[in-house]
Order: sequence, then structure tokens, then C-alpha cells
Amino acid sequence: MDATFSLLTMTGASAMLLLALAVLWRHHVPAYITAFRMQSVALAFVGAVVAWFGDVSELFLVAALILALKGWIVPRILARMEARRPGDRGLHPLVNTEMSLLLSGGLAVAAYEISRPVAEVISLPTRGGLPLALALILVSLFIVVSRRQVIAQIVGFLMLENGIALLALLGAYGVPLVVELGVFLDVLLGVLVMQALVPGMGEPSAG
Amino acid sequence: MTTVVLAAAELLFLAILAPAVVGYVRWLKARLQSRRGADLFQPYREFRKTFAKGMVIADTASWLFHLAPYVVVASTVAAAVLVPVFSASQAGDQFGDLFALMALLILGTMFLALGGLDPGTAFGGMGSSREMTVAALTEPTLAIAVLALALTAGSSSLGVITGTLLTTPANAIGPGHALAFAAFLIAMLAETGRLPVDNPATHLELTMIHEAMILEYSGPYLALLEWAAALKLTLLLTLAANLFVPWGMATSVGAAALAFGLVVVVAKIAVLATLLALLETRVAKLRLFRVPELLAVSFTLALLAATSSFFTR
Amino acid sequence: MIGTALASAMAAFAAGAVFALAWPSGAGARRLSLASAFAGCVAALVLGVDMLDSGISWTWQSQAVLQPLGGVSLRVDPLGAFFVAIVALTGAPASLYALGYLRELDGRLRGRAVHALFNVFLAGMCLVPLADNAATFLFAWEVMALSSYLLVVSDPEQEGAAAAGLWYAVMTHAGFLALLAAFVMLAQNGPLEFPAMRAAAGTLTPAAQSTSVLLTLAAFGSKAGLVPLHVWLPRAHPAAPSHVSALMSGAMVKLGVYGTIRVLFDLMPPLSPWWGGAVLALGVVTALTGVLYSVAETHIKRVLAYSTVENIGLIFVGLGFALLMRAYDSGVLAAMGLVVALLHTLNHAVFKSLLFLAAGAVVHGARASSLEALGGLIKRMPHTAALCLIGVLALAAVPPLNGFTSEWLTFQLLLAGARYTAPSLAIMLPLALAAVALVAGLAAVSAVRFFGIAFLALPRTDGARDAHEAPLTMRAAMAMPALACVVLGLVPTLAVTQLTAVVSDLGLPMGQLDTGLALSLPLIGSRLWPIAIAALMAAAAIAAVLGTRAARGRQVRIDAAWNCGRIAQSPRSEYTAAAFAEPLKRVFTGFYRPTHEVTVEVHPVSPYFVRAITLRADLAPWMEQAIYAPVVRAAQRLSAQASRLHTGSIHLYLALLPAALLVLLLLGRWIR
Repeated sequence: MDATFSLLTMTGASAMLLLALAVLWRHHVPAYITAFRMQSVALAFVGAVVAWFGDVSELFLVAALILALKGWIVPRILARMEARRPGDRGLHPLVNTEMSLLLSGGLAVAAYEISRPVAEVISLPTRGGLPLALALILVSLFIVVSRRQVIAQIVGFLMLENGIALLALLGAYGVPLVVELGVFLDVLLGVLVMQALVPGMGEPSAG
Repeated sequence: MTTVVLAAAELLFLAILAPAVVGYVRWLKARLQSRRGADLFQPYREFRKTFAKGMVIADTASWLFHLAPYVVVASTVAAAVLVPVFSASQAGDQFGDLFALMALLILGTMFLALGGLDPGTAFGGMGSSREMTVAALTEPTLAIAVLALALTAGSSSLGVITGTLLTTPANAIGPGHALAFAAFLIAMLAETGRLPVDNPATHLELTMIHEAMILEYSGPYLALLEWAAALKLTLLLTLAANLFVPWGMATSVGAAALAFGLVVVVAKIAVLATLLALLETRVAKLRLFRVPELLAVSFTLALLAATSSFFTR
Repeated sequence: MIGTALASAMAAFAAGAVFALAWPSGAGARRLSLASAFAGCVAALVLGVDMLDSGISWTWQSQAVLQPLGGVSLRVDPLGAFFVAIVALTGAPASLYALGYLRELDGRLRGRAVHALFNVFLAGMCLVPLADNAATFLFAWEVMALSSYLLVVSDPEQEGAAAAGLWYAVMTHAGFLALLAAFVMLAQNGPLEFPAMRAAAGTLTPAAQSTSVLLTLAAFGSKAGLVPLHVWLPRAHPAAPSHVSALMSGAMVKLGVYGTIRVLFDLMPPLSPWWGGAVLALGVVTALTGVLYSVAETHIKRVLAYSTVENIGLIFVGLGFALLMRAYDSGVLAAMGLVVALLHTLNHAVFKSLLFLAAGAVVHGARASSLEALGGLIKRMPHTAALCLIGVLALAAVPPLNGFTSEWLTFQLLLAGARYTAPSLAIMLPLALAAVALVAGLAAVSAVRFFGIAFLALPRTDGARDAHEAPLTMRAAMAMPALACVVLGLVPTLAVTQLTAVVSDLGLPMGQLDTGLALSLPLIGSRLWPIAIAALMAAAAIAAVLGTRAARGRQVRIDAAWNCGRIAQSPRSEYTAAAFAEPLKRVFTGFYRPTHEVTVEVHPVSPYFVRAITLRADLAPWMEQAIYAPVVRAAQRLSAQASRLHTGSIHLYLALLPAALLVLLLLGRWIR
């Protein structure tokens, strides 16, 4: 039972991390949005698994909300932002692709090293995925820092949120529903505000 | 003694099957592209025909040009002996392991590159330069993938790795194993010169990597080189199948077990070849300077696999 | 036996120097001095092998020589014997080679000087591993440094020889000072004898320990060629005559490795794991830097010099691993690490000397030293090409040659370390493994490029077109290390069993070894049997050859190569060395920092008619600019300040004497 639980959550967490790596690899914005959408679906999957095996029924609601909000609404908003913007495809990121991938590999290794003492203390079956969640957070921060296109930075920030949510799910079987709802509202509001400002954000950020 | 006989049988099997694998991939790609496609046995006919033809040697070539095909064949055959095919008792373990296999493959690549440089054509130089670059950048990925496998098995010997997986299947469950498999497949695409790294069916010299190096070879030399390339593809597919999904391999030397192992390995190679054909139809060839990005992806996957296998021990 | 061998070796070298300077006829001087050098090397080899076989150490002291510094003290132990054997194995082919190589210098003073210095150089290198006190060590070290410096600057026609000599002299003497300081620190007010230092090792304070380790690494690291102290290597090796370059790369830099092992493993107690990790990281960085530059360089000997830097890096990876394992009390793994490092030392000495000798033959025959000016030499110099091919394959670490054996063992070592040690090492070792694998791949690229551009295709200049094959002595000299490469590759246990004796003598026992023809070290589950691999490959090749013979038998037509329909093939259409490395230069552009400069010369009448376009692409030596240029500028500023003392006033000069006296008296009073 525990083995299946652990396996399913680790697979979900690995999929989320790999989708963050996809943002570093691909060069087109629609690919970023698809990666984010699939990552949110994976997060919802992990939430559902934790809800089922961990007997925390409110997480089912959280998973459904993640699916609806981050899996459907926010990607649509992002796609609309992308469609409206005059294309600035030729922007190369600050760090080239190979170095980005090697650095994120290094960040993942660092995340494993950092979370080793934590993994020894926590006795939940989901502790194997904690390093992956931490790695996702670090890689998303790196995405935000190193990409020049605004949409890519926004996607990186949203992936950071996903990573934190994953960490909470795996480490403590989620946070109370109220907190989750608050975070969702924050995210939605943030994206709507950014969408309203997009015509003025058509220029790439400097440096 | 039985292990030696089995090893010889496995080598013969791979040697005979190799053109059929290439033929199958070509046929499936044709079908997926709504063409009829030549049947599975076309590469055999091509081999026989090419082998019987006379040769045209460039006037600028030297004795290295004549040496290269034999070294390529020799190194690929030696690598093929190391690969576990349908039996888990491995004679190859006596003289080599995964690192030796990698080194033998790079020996073949080096001589192909030298054979491409010898006639002094621009295309040969281009192919050699690109092929060596891709081969060099694939090395770290393969090494880390080997490390990931060898850590759980305790040794880099192929027989030990497959044997450990056969006895404790629990090691194969988990993202580490899958990540290593994905990394290995990407590295395999680079090593064997398939899309998206290199297009084996291209006629444009400027887009060639592997084909450009063998442009000057004809007759028996060309037949040998094409067969060696087919053998390399087959042995890497078998390696991918048996290192990561070894179940079905014969653990005893009974005739029934061996026959079953044979059928299973053919099925596994067929599945992987189908996936290869699907992938090649789906993607376009990458620019040469985008290939390092692909190899960086596979390296990162392999690194993640190795790290996760460390920490879940 | 050992005593007589050593005495005869030294006598032979001395005789060689005398013959070179005093013998009336130039040709006779050359032959006699080089024959003496060869004999001296043979005697040194006998010394080494005898000691390793018998296991009996031999010591000799004398207060007659170097009396004020503590007298001469020699000791032959397994480690020293091994390194003397390496010097001998590199020196003998080099002596034979010089017979043909330096024939044109007969009768000139420069020729005599080169032969004499060659003998002195060999003598110095043989004495360094046998020294048992600081005085002897430093004396032999300095003899080695001075003679090699003079040999580096000996050829006035070599461009950049003087600058190369300057870099070399400054760095080697800075290393000398560091070494002196290290020995003084290790002696801790006792006598500067190695046995005394060994006994007092336990009483070193941690600060003193760290400082001595740093000084040792600085001194021996600069001699060996660790980054960033390697900058003299690619300058000095191309400037020296080829047989001297072979000796420098094959033997002299190995003495840097010897010094590191002697101090860190023998004279000092087990160090903290930080040092092991630092040495390992330094080795990885050195290997990567060396191989990346060797792929991009176009001067034939500089490619090989950077490749030496790469291999030194790999040796230090083994040393760092051994230090690390010793700190973690993992004796068997530490022993294995040291064995692998020493084996690679031997293998590299053998194939690098072969390659330098071959490069010398190429430069001698084709009168050109840039890869871009060579080509097609395989037809004009077939024997040299075949021997060079063996060296190049050993460099690329492919089975069944000796380069592959040490490469394979390094991989197995890192694998065993990753499996059996603390999780905190779990990060470093896979990364080291990946780096070593990348280095191996890039070394293969460099090897193909080196051999392919120099020997294959069409000649790019008249010099290459009219190249002549090397004389018989040079070819015979090259055949010796080539044979050694093949033998060491097929039967690696020959060397490995001797090395386990060396390592046990240093206090790291390794236990039982598989002494058959296959290689299988403790804690490793895999086996390597090079003879079987070679036999398999030979069988497959023979089958293919027979099949081909049977099949065609009829027509082989010689015709033009396919050039997309062009009528004539010219060497202008071949790939150049720079072009071959271009994809890698693009991938690693952050490391190389290349500069591109395009100048367009237009017709005075209109800017639309272009006369000439020049592209200048350079690899900026950023390491020198970033690290050394500031140091040199600081030194110049300091000197400018100091020159203010030269005011010309005699009163100031007189005042300096009592001032110094006063300061020393006060210091002597306060520092008890």
C-alpha cells in the first residue's frame, strides 16, 4: 500500500520536475504554456493520490480546484496574452540552453543534498518526493531569473507556486483548505492583473 | 564451455538480425508516411548486391582507408559479444563491461572519422568533425547512465546488471530507472545517427553526419560499413531492452528457456524499433548546434537518475 | 646490485656530458654522448626493476658532497624505483632518437651543448626520486630545472623560445622557493632529512599542515602542470627539441607527481578529506582545461602539451581520490586510487613520449610545425604514420591499448567509491565520473583531429608535399614506446602487480590481486581482459578480410573522389584543423572566449568593390590575462617602488647596513 503511494507520488513529482526542465529546453512560448498546464495536471494528480492514500478528503476539492484554475483557466489567460502580444520570438535567454540544463541538473543534485537531513526526520511515505519538490522550486527560480521573455518569467513564477504546493502536499499532506483557497485567489488575481498590463509589457525586460 | 557456445549463438543472432531491424524501421516509416515501402528483407538484398560489386577507391586515399572498415567491423562485433541477448549467463563478463562497450563503440567511430578524412574531401571532413563532436558529447550521458545502473547492481558488468534486475525486480520500479532509460534512448539516437540527430536517409551532403563519412566507400567496404551500422543499432536496442526490462531472458540453458528468451528479445527489439520509427516520423532533424542541447537534456536526466538512485538506497 | 647500477648510470651520464664537450669530431661526440645516455638509462632501468623485484631498499649517505646543506643522502625505495624506471623508459628512446634527429647540429657548439645538457638532464631526473634529504632533492631539482631551461632556449630559430624560457624559469624557481619553504616547515626545526620529517609528521600543527600541503601543491603542481600553474607547459614544450619535449612531458612532469606522492602520502600523516576533495576537483578542472585547449590548438606540439596537462589532471584525480579515501579510513580504495594514478603515470609517459617523438619526426620531415601546413604525410612517411597511429589510439583511450586500461580503472574506481562510501561523497564522485567521461570523449576528438589533419588527405604546403621519412634511428626509437604501449595494453597486470608493491610500501595494502591475464581489482565486480578483446577483434577482422577477398577479387578501380562534380581536387577544399574543432568551439564558447576580427579592404573608387576580406579568429588566453597579468603588473609596480631606493646618495646606502643590523638584532631578541 505504502509502496504504491510512494511510487505514485514520486512519479507525479518527477513529471513535474521534468516539465520545468522542458521550459528550459524549448524555445517557443506555447510550449511553455503547455508545460505549465501539464504540470498543473500532474500536481492535481499528486493531490488526488495524497487525498486517497492519506485519507484527507478536502484535498480532493483542492485537486479539483488546481485542475480547474491552473490546469484550465490560467493557461487560457496566458494563451490570450501570448496571442495579443506582437511577436518577439528572437529573444535568447541570459543563459544558453546547455548551461541552463546543466545548472538545473546541479540544482537538483543540490536539492537532494539539502533535503537529506529532512528526509531522515520525516517518516511519511511521500518523503522520497521532497527533494524533487525542492528541486522544482529552485529550477523555477532559475527560470524566472534567466529568461528574458515576460511570459516565460510568468510561467516560471507559476511553476514556483506549483513547487511550493507540491512541497506542502508531500511534506505535510497539504495545508488547510482556507490557506489553499487564499493562494488560489492570489494566483488568479495576479495573473489577471498581469494580463491587463500586457499591452504595456510588450517590450522584453532589459538585461 | 556452454557459455562460450551461447555467446557465439547470441552474436550470430544479432549479426543476422541486424539488417532486418533496419529494414523493419524503414518499412514502418514508409507505411507511416503513406508509402508502400520495401519489405523487411531489402537490406539483405542490398548487402548481397553491394558486396558483389567492384570498388572505386579515391586516388587520394591511403592504407588507412582500407584499414578503417575492418576496424569498424571488428570493434562493433566485439561490442556485440558483450551485450546480453537471450540468455542471462554472460561469457562477455569475462573480458569486459559497459565501459569497455562504450570504448569499443568509440573506437569504431574514430576509425569511421579517420576514413572520412582520408580521401581529403570537404564532405568527409564535415562528417568526421560533426560525428566526433556528437560522440564526445554523448560520453558523459552514457557514463552517468552506466553509473546509475551499476550503483544498484554493484558492478558495471552487463551480466551482473541484468542478473540483479532479474532477481530483484523491485529495483526497476521508480523514476530513477525510467529516467536512466530515457537518457539512454536519447544517447542511443545520437550514437546510431538517427533522427533528430542525423537523418540516415538524406541525400544532401551538407546535412549528413554518418553518411558523409562513408561517402567514398563502395562495394564490399560499403556493405561492411552499412552492416556494421545496422549491427550497432541492433545491439544498442537490445542493450536498452535488456538492461532496463530484462524479464524473459533465459536463466537456465534448457532449450525451452532459450527459445522463449529468443522470442521475447525479438519482441522487445520490435517494440523499440516501432517506437524509433514513430519518433523519426514525428520529429524533424535538429540543426547541428541544437544537438548539444538535446544531449544536455539527456545528461540532466541521467544525472537525476544517478542522484535518485544514490539517495533511495 | 642497486648500488652498482646507480653508480654506472651516473658514470654513464657524466661520461656522456664529457664526450659531448670534449670529443674532437662532432659526429663522434654525438654518437658517444648519446650512446652513454642510452647506457645510463638502461642502468637506471635495471636499478628500478631490480628494486621492485627484490623489495630490498638501499641507502647511501655522504657528507663529502653538499656538506654545508647536510650532505647527500640517497635511498632507493619502491616509489623512487618506479619513477626512476619511468625516467629510464622515456630517456632510452629519446637518446636513440636524437642520434638521427640532431645529425645536422654536428660540429657546432650548440649541438655539443645540447648533448651535454641532455645527459645532465637525465642525471638530474634520475636523482630526484632517490633523494632522501631536502638538500639532495633540491640540488637534483635545480640541476633538472637549469638543464631543461637551457635546452628549451637552445634553438634560436624557434619563435617564442626566449619568452617560453622566461615563463619556465620564473615558474620553476617560484616552485623551488615554495618547495624549500615546505621542507623547512615539515622539518619543524629538526634536520632536513626525510626520515626525520616522516617521524615528526604526527606533531605538525593543523595550520602548519595546511600550509605545507598548499606549498607542496603549488611547487609540485606547477612542475606537473596543474591549472592554473600550467601556463609554462604549452610554451616550453614546443620550443624545446623534440626528444627533450618527450622527456619533459614523459618524465619531468611526472616528477611533480612523484613529489606530491612523496610528501602527501609518505612524509605527512593522513590529511583531512577537504584536501582530497580539493585535489580531486583540481584534477578534474585541469583535465577539462587541458583537453579543451588541445582540441583547439593548431601547433602540433602545443596540442600534445595541452594533452599532457589533461593527463596530469587525470592522474591527480586518482591521487585526490586516494587522499579522500585515506581520510575516510577506506584503505583498499585509497590503495586502488594510488595504483590507478601510478599506472596512468606510466601509460602516459609511454604514449606521450611516442607522440612527441613522432611530432618531431613530422616537423623534421615536413619542415612545418602547424597542423594547418601539414597533410598527406601518411603516404610520404608511412612508418612514422603507423607508429603515430598507435600513440594516437593510446591517447584516445581505446581498447586494447594501455590508455584504455587506466581509463577503465579510473571509471571503476569512481564507481566503487560512489558505492562504498559516505553519502557526502555521493555528489562529487558522479560529477567527477561525468567529467572524466567528457574528457575521454574530447581526447578522442583531439586524437582524430591530430592524426587526421596532419597525416591524412592532401598536403597543404610544399613542405608537406616534399616531406621525407624519418631516418632509421628515429623510427626505431619510436618503435620502442609503441611496442610498450601495445604490451602494457595487452598485459596490464605486468605493471599493476609491481604497483601494488609500491603502494603497500607506502602503507596502503591492497590485498590479493587477480594475477592472471585479466584485470580485476578488489571491490570491483567487473573484469577486463584486453587479450580476449584483441583476439575477438582480430578474428572478426580476419573474417571480414577473407569475405571481402572472396567476394570481389575482380575490379578495383582508382579514380577521383566525389567532390560534387568539381574537376580537380585541391587541398584548399579539405577540412582544416580549426574547422574540425569549430563545432566544439561553438559548444564551449563560454570557455574559449574566442575573438573574431573581420577587416574588409575595399577598392578606393567605390565601397562596393571589395578587394580582400580578412578574418582573424583567436583564442584569447584569458587564463594568463586574468591571473598572471595582474601578478606581473603588481610585481612591476613593486619593482618601480623599490627602484626609488636607488637615489644615488651614498649616505642612504651606508644607512641601510646599520638599519638591517638593528632590525635583525631586535628580531633575534623577540623571536625566541
